[in-house]
Amino acid sequence: MQVKEIMSKEVIFVKRSTKLRELLEIFKDFHVFPLVPVLEENKRLVGIVSFRNLIDSLQSYHSDALKLVPFLDEEEQDIFKVDITDDLGDLVTVEDIMEHEYIAIQEDTSLNEVYNLMKLHLKEEFPVVDRAGRLTGRIGIFDILEAVFRQKGIIQ
Amino acid sequence: MNTILGLGFILFAGLLSAKLIKKIKLPAVTAYLLLGIFIGPSLLKLVPEGILGASGLISNIVLGIIAFGIGQNFSRYHLRRIGKTVVWISVLEACGAWILVTLIFYLILRQPFYLSLLFGAIASATAPAATVMVIREYRAKGNFTDTLLGVVAIDDAWCLIIFAISLAISQAIYAHNLEAFFLAKVFFSSLLSISGAFILGAFLAIVLSVFYRFVRTPTELLILTLGIVFLNIGIAIWLNLSVLLANMFLGAALVNLNRYSFKFFDSLKIIDSPLFLLFFVLAGASLEINILGKLSIIGLSYLIFRVVGKVIGASLGAKISNAATSVRKYLGFGLIPQAGVALGCALVAKSDFPQVGNMIFTTIVATTVIYELIGPLCTKYALRKAGDIIIH
Repeated sequence: MQVKEIMSKEVIFVKRSTKLRELLEIFKDFHVFPLVPVLEENKRLVGIVSFRNLIDSLQSYHSDALKLVPFLDEEEQDIFKVDITDDLGDLVTVEDIMEHEYIAIQEDTSLNEVYNLMKLHLKEEFPVVDRAGRLTGRIGIFDILEAVFRQKGIIQ
Repeated sequence: MNTILGLGFILFAGLLSAKLIKKIKLPAVTAYLLLGIFIGPSLLKLVPEGILGASGLISNIVLGIIAFGIGQNFSRYHLRRIGKTVVWISVLEACGAWILVTLIFYLILRQPFYLSLLFGAIASATAPAATVMVIREYRAKGNFTDTLLGVVAIDDAWCLIIFAISLAISQAIYAHNLEAFFLAKVFFSSLLSISGAFILGAFLAIVLSVFYRFVRTPTELLILTLGIVFLNIGIAIWLNLSVLLANMFLGAALVNLNRYSFKFFDSLKIIDSPLFLLFFVLAGASLEINILGKLSIIGLSYLIFRVVGKVIGASLGAKISNAATSVRKYLGFGLIPQAGVALGCALVAKSDFPQVGNMIFTTIVATTVIYELIGPLCTKYALRKAGDIIIH
């Protein structure tokens, strides 16, 4: 069975220019903050935002360049005591906090392989893209489990 | 004290000293070095022989891991983003320190050329950790900060290349003195060392990518990555290639071959911190306090002219790339700290040139401690002058 047969096709996404405040507004009624794809105009996937990136927005300086710095002491910052102004919600955009390094799954990947990738990378969901890199859906661990239970006849 | 008790003591004391030094806003690296100096054979003699004897093993592993990480700088994505200002400044500040220190040591201090070249090459390294700490502490933001971070991240890559070339030339001069085919030999041995390291790194990157398909769990990924890094270090040592370059090329090839290469680098982060701690403590422990006095002129010249070379080089690079005036004037002052890469290069020099090795290594350990203490102050000065931080 391939990913495209069971993936959810309705996915909430944001743009690079989406403001932090708008991002939080979208998700405030949800139980959890999911992995959110960042798309360009032509629906091409360019990054993802997760709750870790929300924490990053409270840090003093976050940049891809920091990942390349050896022996960097981890920043010990108490997120409850950060001294920031309330205009952060408008100043920070998705572009500033999104991750460029992420795993995206091709539509024709087998469920077995996706499940293995979830185990290997300790992730519970992935965005799904077509050959041109455009977002077409998302696949979560529950979609896979549901397919297995359906196959076993436990649910219809 | 037995070896394992010694290891436990070093890890525990290292953690404690890093926590303490954080109170005065200095990076953990400084604490590890100072701890090493205090507990080393020169002072308290608390490091067991077994660990001192294994310092070659630990440093080769740590150098391999550091160089592997530096290779990430060469990803297509990263290279596209860094821009010409960062490239010009980083290349010229590294070369500025290299050339100026070499010339001062050779022409003014009258040191042998191979030794001057080694000091010059080590001088090109920078340690970004202390710089980043200052940027974070004062919540610096702006064009100057972005350029500074870009420069400190990539310039150790240039240092490894400069050091590999200098080491090959120094070895050739040292071995052959001034024979007839001297120049050709120098050129040939440099080429062999660099291209051999490149082929080895690229080959093992392909092996790693192929085996990645069979990896199912994060634990297997860690074992595979560490295994390949060890293979690369071991083969490089066996074939007399540069361990530093071979691992940098492994990282560079991997980051361009494999879409998910960041996972390999991330997996090593779980285990590298205690190794880094041991590496710095042992580096501090190798400082020979009794020869420190004799090195005052050499050490002082290195301290001053490395900074002068970096400031002039950075300023020239900023001018060529039409960077902002603040970048041209002050960026060099953010590049003062040196640590892991400089110590690593000094260790390689120490093992390849036993007669002058202790002198090189002690000078670099001592200057590293001084640079790590004054570096943050200079970075703060540069950031304030550039207008990227406001200090009340």
